[in-house]
Amino acid sequence: MSQAVTVNNTPGGEYDSLAAELSAALSLTALWQEDAYGNPFGWLALPSPAQLLEAVKIMRGRNARLCTVSAYAEERNDRDKKRGIAYHFILGRLLFTINVRIYDPETLEKLPVPSITPWFSNADWNEREFKEMFNIDIIDHPNPRRLFLDERLDAGVMTSLIPFSAMLHGAGSKDLWEKVMEEKTGHIPADGAQPAIAEPAFTPVEKSASAPAEQKD
Amino acid sequence: MSHTTQTIEAQKSFTLPIGPLHVALEEPMYFRLELDGERVRHVDITSGHVHRGMEALAAKRNFFQNVVLTERVCSLCSNSHPFTYCMAVENLSGIKPPLRAQYLRVMAEEIKRIASHMFNVAIMAHVIGYKSLFMHVMEVRELMQDIKESVYGNRMDLAANCIGGVKYDVDSALMDYAQKNLERVAMHLREIIAIYRNDSMIRARTQGVGRVSPEEARRLGLVGPVARGSGLDMDVRRDASYAVYPELSFQVVTEEGCDVHARAMVRLREAYESIGLVRQIIEKLPEGERTAPLLPIPAGEAAARSEAPRGEIFYYLRADGSDVPLRLKWRVPSYMNWDALPVMMKDCAVADVTLIVNSIDPCVSCTER
Repeated sequence: MSQAVTVNNTPGGEYDSLAAELSAALSLTALWQEDAYGNPFGWLALPSPAQLLEAVKIMRGRNARLCTVSAYAEERNDRDKKRGIAYHFILGRLLFTINVRIYDPETLEKLPVPSITPWFSNADWNEREFKEMFNIDIIDHPNPRRLFLDERLDAGVMTSLIPFSAMLHGAGSKDLWEKVMEEKTGHIPADGAQPAIAEPAFTPVEKSASAPAEQKD
Repeated sequence: MSHTTQTIEAQKSFTLPIGPLHVALEEPMYFRLELDGERVRHVDITSGHVHRGMEALAAKRNFFQNVVLTERVCSLCSNSHPFTYCMAVENLSGIKPPLRAQYLRVMAEEIKRIASHMFNVAIMAHVIGYKSLFMHVMEVRELMQDIKESVYGNRMDLAANCIGGVKYDVDSALMDYAQKNLERVAMHLREIIAIYRNDSMIRARTQGVGRVSPEEARRLGLVGPVARGSGLDMDVRRDASYAVYPELSFQVVTEEGCDVHARAMVRLREAYESIGLVRQIIEKLPEGERTAPLLPIPAGEAAARSEAPRGEIFYYLRADGSDVPLRLKWRVPSYMNWDALPVMMKDCAVADVTLIVNSIDPCVSCTER
């Protein structure tokens, strides 16, 4: 069976000049692929947000269209620290993705990301969404309001979801039962206590479970 | 300025809330309109009323379960989501679906496109008060619903796709039935297109309304019939062709009006083109396997895009070698097109607001996923 994706060192044809321009400006080499239907894909990895605007300007200069922006965690068990953002551009038939690492590899401290709305105005919603879903800091966003989430909710809820399965296992009802018994009897009956439910390792729910969000109104 | 004049001036400018629940909106979205008399001067959109966190759910389900999940992002584009998701997984793992599966995938996609477009233009007739036309278009659309129900067993979620191919097959009896229904739809659609093109009431209510220039459409990154209604010649089926689209003949439909009418005409003409595509598939459908053997899904990243009824759909996948995606992100066409509404509504009449909203064929369940 033929492989659906082939990997090349150079894009070939009309995209050679883009590869050369990126290489000259950023001293980085992109990875080039083709899918089973011959559609080209390019992948460029930036080690920090410092070079993002330079790369974005190159895409703007070539009249690329911003398709969307995807924020992600690099590892399943470390969702709060090792974050990245993928900026997906369309240039004719080419889908070109610029991956940006947005943390310091030494300290794991998160790094702010410059807004690309001056070059691609349709980045507005994308940037507002990853700010509230992943708690990523944006510099110079023209309209930094919440997009989907209510202001009362903490930013970064994509990383603090309480799984429905954990609720069904009784994690929530146990807390309620203990609260009722404590108010009624002054103590929690040892025999009524249920064993703790082990949470899935990739879901950091401690904050949400121990400190419910305060209602401000 | 006298007190009376000041009072009249103050009454001319006011704020009008529309939504989040409104008779012309199928799904909740809140529009805050700043009005100057009957004219809209500024629009502020607030979304998020039904956000479902589906992308977080996708990172807790395995690759197979996500075929089912992505089909439930949206009802009208319900085939495009699992289709594009499967293409992203196949790009990562190196699977190429068999030719028969590719034909069947495109058949499901085009049948959905016809029904989706007819639904939108029917709602347009409903919004402008042309009830008899609304009823007629919806009645003709029922023929497409009958095809879906007969071939797939469902009227909306077809469950056609799986990783590596398709889950359904067709025999000659089903093909004959689909062919006959398509002939009837085509006959009615020719008349419907003529009505939308020439009827004086439709033209009076929709031409020149909700304009977005080609330059603005390009700046906002608009996609699908909204972009093509502003003359942008773009369609993923042709520009980054996938499945068997290169083997099929079709025209990318554009209109130059840049208004509500142009967007409706694009949808109607595209529905007609899609009938031609399904006919070609019925003629050319090869024998063969419907699925390719599954291969391991390695760690890495992949992307795929397709042309859904509302425009370009994009899927981005990151995997760590396990059977659960590390990240699955998708961008729906409505996500790009919402931002055009403040441009389209600038200085429009209040009575045209719901008409303009409908003209982008908005999908809140897609947008807020």
